[in-house]
Amino acid sequence: MNWSLFFGELVSGLTLGSIYALIALGYTMVYGILKLLNFAHGDVYMVGAFVGFFVLQWLGGALSPAVTGWLVVAIMFAVAMLACGLLGVGIERFAYRPLRNAPRIAPLISALGVSIFLQNSALLLWGPQFRSYDTFDLVGVKSYHIGNNFFISNIQILTIAVSIGLTIALALVVSRTRTGKAMRATSFDRDAAEMMGISIDRVISFTFFLGSALAAAGGVMFGLVFGQIFSLMGFTAGLKGFTAAVVGGIGSIPGAVLGGFLIGLTEAFATGYLPGGSVYANLYVFALLIGMFLIRPSGLLGSPVIQKV
Amino acid sequence: MKKVVVAACLAAVVAVLATAAWGSTGGASKVASASNADTALVKCGKTRSIGLMAPFTGPAASIGINQVHWANFYKTNYNKTHKSKIKFVNEDTQLGSANGTAEAVKGAQALGSNSAVLGVVGPAGSNEVKATTGALKGAGLGWVSGSATNTQITLDGTRKGFFFRTVPPDSSQSKSVSGYITATLKVKRVYIIDDQEAYSTGLADEVQAQLKAKGVTVGRDGVSQQQSDFTSLINKIPRNTQLVYLPWQLPPKGQAFGQQMKSQGRAGTKLMGSDGLFDPLFAGLGNNVYDSFFPVNPSDKRVAAFKAIHKGTELFGAPSYVAAQVVTGAIDRACKNGTASRAEVRAQIKKTNISVAASLLGLPVAFNKNGDMVKKPFGIYHSVKGVFVRVA
Repeated sequence: MNWSLFFGELVSGLTLGSIYALIALGYTMVYGILKLLNFAHGDVYMVGAFVGFFVLQWLGGALSPAVTGWLVVAIMFAVAMLACGLLGVGIERFAYRPLRNAPRIAPLISALGVSIFLQNSALLLWGPQFRSYDTFDLVGVKSYHIGNNFFISNIQILTIAVSIGLTIALALVVSRTRTGKAMRATSFDRDAAEMMGISIDRVISFTFFLGSALAAAGGVMFGLVFGQIFSLMGFTAGLKGFTAAVVGGIGSIPGAVLGGFLIGLTEAFATGYLPGGSVYANLYVFALLIGMFLIRPSGLLGSPVIQKV
Repeated sequence: MKKVVVAACLAAVVAVLATAAWGSTGGASKVASASNADTALVKCGKTRSIGLMAPFTGPAASIGINQVHWANFYKTNYNKTHKSKIKFVNEDTQLGSANGTAEAVKGAQALGSNSAVLGVVGPAGSNEVKATTGALKGAGLGWVSGSATNTQITLDGTRKGFFFRTVPPDSSQSKSVSGYITATLKVKRVYIIDDQEAYSTGLADEVQAQLKAKGVTVGRDGVSQQQSDFTSLINKIPRNTQLVYLPWQLPPKGQAFGQQMKSQGRAGTKLMGSDGLFDPLFAGLGNNVYDSFFPVNPSDKRVAAFKAIHKGTELFGAPSYVAAQVVTGAIDRACKNGTASRAEVRAQIKKTNISVAASLLGLPVAFNKNGDMVKKPFGIYHSVKGVFVRVA
């Protein structure tokens, strides 16, 4: 057994899974409340990565930041999350809210339209070239090792820690706050919640804000870990996030996190161990999705929908 | 009344469709004339048009823009010293973008249907050369690339008489690379990662075979050009690997790979790139970086003049200067009687004979029957303080 390879893929999988988990959380929250698959979510993640990049440039760039590197990273996260949260609210207000009572296919098509709109706007505004975060210069990437087989970098630790921290924060918001209670009520029965005096519009806007902010954090993390971002990065990442949400059980917050880590680990171990894995890792990831649908259509932690007949 | 409105609307739609159909018929005649463009004579006039295909934007823009700068540098120099002038018709190929070679094909079609264009400089990538063959050859255009190095694109006979290049083929590059790895670096364990493109897999295959023949232990893997996460792949590379060879086309990807190697605790492993990674982004990774690159004469006065204008040391685009020189020279010769056809320009490209003194490459430029340069050495470079310095 090559333990170095095993632990290496484990760390890579957890790092990648952390990013997918944050994207999946947005998908699952929006689906839980609106029963809408927000296909523009992957592109919000891309916008988040770019906002982080422009904040970095605004603060002097990686080589000569105006403040310490780690403070720059914190500001990048904060601004990207705020900007994308507002973007999510805007998308909901103008692209989904007018279609809330339309047939379900209409908001789905609208979501695809928003996705393409964001992708092409990014291409127009920022061009198709790669942008480098230059994390090495910004924070000085350090690699830690335990024995001869376990290696992890400070950025990988940060990514996994931030992802877990944000997930815990989200779980606390949903389970311990009045807004969270309103979100759960809206998810359970929107009409009844409205009759109980809950402002559905506000709850939905808040849900979009949270989901989009988490996606933005994922985008910034991607830039920090893998060094580069580009205008079309949201498409595949969005699909993987959606897959993670479905595998975990769409509508379930713990399921989204579990699905994210599962997809990340599948991708990493497929690359490390399976034939042609480095080129065809996506083949294995989406095979997992199909397999999950066949074995457990409601996902790992999702509950089967009971329909009144 | 309602029926009248409906009928009027229908009539309007029919009229629009008929107009569109008439327009498309006109288009067809244009296409037909494009297919005759091979021998159609164009009045040369004072200003001659040359297509310039390069990745102006996209993942390979950093090297593409350098090619464009060099080609434009030639244009400026030429226009200063000649009565006749040249102008470029630019087409952005977006090499390495998610659209694959679609943008290159669109650009080739646009150049083919532009009757003023007599020859083409570019495109940059070997896959692009393959993809645009139908459009450029169909329009009778001769084209000269300053960076497409895949060995087979001149040997498979598909583009014979149409395609030429001012860079040596990968068969020459692979010999220089494997020779340097074994004879100078004395490395015994190498890992090769291709990027699944024709250029990359072809070069990787050749280097792999030559290294194995010299007793080197070689591992092999591949990545997609769209990939940015290399950490899982890096884990697969055995820890005792002394050198990783990356025959890639996109410097930002090479940079990301190197950075991720460092973050995985592999900073000591040597990296060797190919001509596609000959860029400050890759050189900036540190002193353990090597690269193979086209022959360019660094002491040529034009290199110094170019550096003075563009404040850089990038020589990647220098063969595109020579490609522009080849196409312009061919057009000048074909235009001696005031008119020229694309077929005449192609014939003149074949007859190119640029002396050592006039060539920026430090060697004479003449083509063999396949479109390759008769003389074709490759250089090896080492990154010293973020700048590539020739070492072999």
